[in-house]
Amino acid sequence: MVSIDHYLVLATFMFLCGTLGVLFRRNLLMVLMSIELMLNAVNLVFVSGSRMLGNLDGQVMVFFIITVAACEAGVGLAMVIALFRRYGTVDTNFLRILRG
Amino acid sequence: MLFWLILFFPLLGAFLNGLVLRKVSPTVSHILGAAALIAAFVCALITYLQFMGAGGEAQVINGMDWIEAGTFKAPFNFILDRLSGMMLLIITGIGSLIHIYAGGYMHEEAATYRFFSYLNLFVFMMLLLVLGDNLLVMFIGWEGVGLCSYLLIGYWYEDDKNAAAGMKAFLVNRIGDIGFLLGIFLTFKYFHTISFSQLKEMVLTASANLSGEQLEAIGWITLALFVGACGKSAQMPLYVWLPDAMAGPTPVSALIHAATMVTAGIYMMTRLNFMFYLAPDTQMVVASVGAITALFAATIALVQYDIKKVLAYSTVSQLGYMVLGCGVGAYSAGVFHLFTHACFKALLFLGAGSVIVAMHHKQDMREMGGLRKYMPITHLVMFVGVLAIIGFPGLSGFFSKDEILWRAWTGGDRYHIQWVLGALAAVCTSFYMVRLLMLTFYGKNRSDHHTQEHLHETSVTMWGPLVVLAVLSAGVGYLNVPHILPFPAPLLFEHYLDPVISIPPSVADYWHHLHAEYPHSLEWGIMGVSVVGMALSSILAIGMYSDGFSKLAHSLGSTLKGAHRVLTHKYYVDEFYDAYFVSPLRDIAQFLWKIVDVVIIDGIVNGVGQACMLIGGLSSFRMSGSLHRHGMVMIVGIVCMLSVLFF
Repeated sequence: MVSIDHYLVLATFMFLCGTLGVLFRRNLLMVLMSIELMLNAVNLVFVSGSRMLGNLDGQVMVFFIITVAACEAGVGLAMVIALFRRYGTVDTNFLRILRG
Repeated sequence: MLFWLILFFPLLGAFLNGLVLRKVSPTVSHILGAAALIAAFVCALITYLQFMGAGGEAQVINGMDWIEAGTFKAPFNFILDRLSGMMLLIITGIGSLIHIYAGGYMHEEAATYRFFSYLNLFVFMMLLLVLGDNLLVMFIGWEGVGLCSYLLIGYWYEDDKNAAAGMKAFLVNRIGDIGFLLGIFLTFKYFHTISFSQLKEMVLTASANLSGEQLEAIGWITLALFVGACGKSAQMPLYVWLPDAMAGPTPVSALIHAATMVTAGIYMMTRLNFMFYLAPDTQMVVASVGAITALFAATIALVQYDIKKVLAYSTVSQLGYMVLGCGVGAYSAGVFHLFTHACFKALLFLGAGSVIVAMHHKQDMREMGGLRKYMPITHLVMFVGVLAIIGFPGLSGFFSKDEILWRAWTGGDRYHIQWVLGALAAVCTSFYMVRLLMLTFYGKNRSDHHTQEHLHETSVTMWGPLVVLAVLSAGVGYLNVPHILPFPAPLLFEHYLDPVISIPPSVADYWHHLHAEYPHSLEWGIMGVSVVGMALSSILAIGMYSDGFSKLAHSLGSTLKGAHRVLTHKYYVDEFYDAYFVSPLRDIAQFLWKIVDVVIIDGIVNGVGQACMLIGGLSSFRMSGSLHRHGMVMIVGIVCMLSVLFF
């Protein structure tokens, strides 16, 4: 029997993977994908919670998140392309224009 | 319906010419501009005839709501009464003639769409001015005509002098506008309305019961409004912009700076005559300013050489007469002079324009002379125009100017000085106008060979309107012939304005002279003085200038050297203003710019920015710019915060 805990553990694992990806991958594309992974971990929590409580609210929320994630990916990719055009690289080690 | 078309056509013309049809040939823009005006004139004529047919009672035509704030209301309402109806005809009628003429005058210009667009817009604004039923709508028109005047004076803006003249006109008018605005504010403060029809009803029904405070307020209101009129109608001390305004094309001078716009002040005072009647002190100021201006400008015109400058000062002087007429309470006479002056001054300006075109844009009368041979039609119409303005018996100026002087004399002791000034101005007028005629059209031609070869009569689009105006100048005087002269037909103008002009009963005693009977001998005497003065000075001018500058003219000039120099320099008024108003203001502006703005204000603004940069620089050493490091800090922070929350 798969209980809610299994889902939560899986979601935690996915979220950690995403966080580590954001923190340690140097390629901006990979950073973006890691963010997607974090979002999906959250989605999983929502869906399992919804299932457990017999309430559809969580699933509705997931739809919103998927939509927003799609937009975010679109905007993010566009910015990556713009960055690439401007600086010729998407390696975050070289993108340090915010340095004080 | 037709009424709205009067306003609509000029606006449409301005819109099409200015914004849509910019690439078309000058001929098309001319036809469009003139057609808009002629259409407006036809509508105005039909509206006017219907209006007079219905008895000529004032009617308010409701437009749309505009400003409403509490009790303050300023809707776009229009008033159609005998006064505004008459102005409608003058503006659109003379405007049409001048538009037709302008095509001929401007035919050498490459792109005239701008010119005709401004000109049409001017007519629209002027119509708004005379039709508005409240002070605020009038003020829109007031400012609108000022704007168009500015644009047209600076029409040839490549020349700095023209642009400066436009700016001068605009700025001097601003001073008057402050007065006008103050007048509007005060009117609302003390009467709680700015609508002409409501004001009139209020003031007339309550004239005996007005509180002392309100009466005093009327004094200030009328004075403030008169300052506005001084600006627009070029009275002392704000007249200086009008002579410079001659930098614009001549049709503009004719339409705006002689026939219509500059009469706005007289129109406004006549519109509010019931208020001015209640303020005898203001009336005294008005009459004095008018009389002084009439003489002052006339003396300057005596020695000018530029043909347009002579006409410009003559306009200032004639406007002085109209203002004098208003000041002595004879609004009907003032408006009648406005009407005749619009005809003959438009004629004179357009005639001068024809001369200028023939002379290849030379305006100095010392280079003219003998043009009668080359330009017979222009000579003829100018001759009529000159006779009309100097008050030659039988032409329009004689009837209208005499009426004003007569009213000034019969105003009693209090206006005798003004009458003397006005009569002297009339003497000067006939001198300088005959001088202009002589120097331009008689004697030998003094121009160089090249110009002489090309002297020619102008095209029919130019002399056609001139002939019409000449007929008007000669004829319109017969609408209002003095009683003592036998005249078979009914006098159409005599009681024409009676519904508009109303003396409040409480001051009827003070103004009794306007309706009193006087012995005929007195009237003959006054008239005789004018005619004799006119005749003598005309003969003197003929003697001095019939063949160029005679010995007499030269010797007179050298014996009265000092006076001559003062007059040539226009009493040094411009120099005086420059030294005491313009330069100090410019110095103050320089100080505000160079010291207050650049050093103090910019210093504060930039200082704040620099201080921020400094503080930011001090604290930003931790910013590595590394994405991952920032992300790490953020996540560690979040984890810490969550730990505090949950454990």
